[in-house]
Amino acid sequence: MLEVEGLAAGYLGERVIDEIDVEVRTGEAVAIVGSNGAGKTTLFRAIAGLLPTMAGRVVLDGKDFTRRPAHRRARAGIAYVPAERHLFPAMTLKSNLVLGAYPKRPDPATLELVYDLFPRLKERQRQHAGTLSGGEQQMLAVGRALMARPRLLMLDEPTTGLAPKIAQVAFEALEGLKSGGMTLLIAEQQVPLALSVADRGYVLENGRIRLSGASEELERNPEVRRAYLGVA
Amino acid sequence: MTAAILDGVVLGLAYGLLGVGMTLVYGLGGVLNLAYGQIVVLAAIVASVVMEDGRATLLAALVGVAAAAGVSVLLDLTLMRPVYRQHGEERTLLGLLLTLGAAFVIGGVLTWRYPFGALYIDITGDPVSILGVPMTRGSIWASVMALAVAALLLLFFGGTTFGRGVRSVIQDETGARLVGINPSFVRTVIFALSGALAGVVAIANGMSAPLEVSAGFKLTTFALIVTVVGGLGSVAGAFLAGVLLGVVDSLSAHYIGQYYTIMILLGAAALTILIRPRGLLGR
Repeated sequence: MLEVEGLAAGYLGERVIDEIDVEVRTGEAVAIVGSNGAGKTTLFRAIAGLLPTMAGRVVLDGKDFTRRPAHRRARAGIAYVPAERHLFPAMTLKSNLVLGAYPKRPDPATLELVYDLFPRLKERQRQHAGTLSGGEQQMLAVGRALMARPRLLMLDEPTTGLAPKIAQVAFEALEGLKSGGMTLLIAEQQVPLALSVADRGYVLENGRIRLSGASEELERNPEVRRAYLGVA
Repeated sequence: MTAAILDGVVLGLAYGLLGVGMTLVYGLGGVLNLAYGQIVVLAAIVASVVMEDGRATLLAALVGVAAAAGVSVLLDLTLMRPVYRQHGEERTLLGLLLTLGAAFVIGGVLTWRYPFGALYIDITGDPVSILGVPMTRGSIWASVMALAVAALLLLFFGGTTFGRGVRSVIQDETGARLVGINPSFVRTVIFALSGALAGVVAIANGMSAPLEVSAGFKLTTFALIVTVVGGLGSVAGAFLAGVLLGVVDSLSAHYIGQYYTIMILLGAAALTILIRPRGLLGR
């Protein structure tokens, strides 16, 4: 469904990521793992169209989106939940969700689905997004992305800033989405957590793909164990 | 006293519209449109020329509003493009310089072609008594028009999908792009809307007193003051500030003297920045 070929992107003419090849098939959950500063966010921003590509292609369902602006990619079904969330703070939680369906009117069934997934959001639907806790904001960001019924849901560091217990809950919600048929691309520093949800993974190091393979394969890989799983 | 306050409310509603046009463009992209007053004047002169041609007043008013909206779109598609490619301080500065340039060009051309141009829409009929104060029919029509436009704006921003989209760009542009909104298109539409509002201000003003070709910078100054006091990007705030400042304006003109009014209003704006930097209803 999503094919990223030879992608390079960065800031001020410097390539932060280069020669990136990533593929995500329909219904799959794929993790991009790597340490802080490896280029995960840069990669996601380039796929979402928030950052211009310096080389390579981004293809969704066989259509080349490399030169398309971010809003066109969003409407085509790429839903990106950035780590900073970018909610609309002075609007109610409900308005944030409604805008997720832009330019369409929100589908009541999808709204129910989001509320089922995160009952907390329903309780607080009249509250302003700016007043929510970190965990609630993360739920809202995911909920807003789901409102468009995306083809692909991209989550950047979904557990950053969350207490371990809430992070666990967040990942359980992701499991639920995945079993519901959602295609997922997740960037995480918390490698074991990410690999537990994902079918496959890519290890990003210094802006390049270092390793890739099925999650179990990566979990067994001695290099991955040493660098990310805290096993000697 | 009541008369001065009522006059102030009439004046203030027009200020409110002026402020909305300025504050929306600022909220969406950080650009203060210093040519705003000249666009009001442009609408006034176009409408007065059409009227002198012997056409119906309503047609003249519509042509004036359309001209202001059209010139605004033109400005957005040409002059503003390089501005929005910049970010932060560079954008603000370039925006100020280019719109100031546009103000001189539009103002200059209008003064050159129509040195004695003015819009006055004379609405006949006896004054109507409101709270015991005789108000001219022109003032009443101007107020009704301003209130109607205000209600339409609030409905548009509160109740329509596109209106919500506009607010989302004001609050978080990246977030807006991620839900599929094109900020550049939103800005063009809002620039056009602000132009149309400038046209409505011109017509409303012309109904209570003649609007002269030289009024541009005074109008821009009022719009800036309303924007600061009302809160950047807030429609309701701009109206509230407009009415408050209109009353202050009218009272000070009545009791202290016309020449001090602008200083008192600027003082109110400065005080707002010191006490409540976000304005009355700013985000």
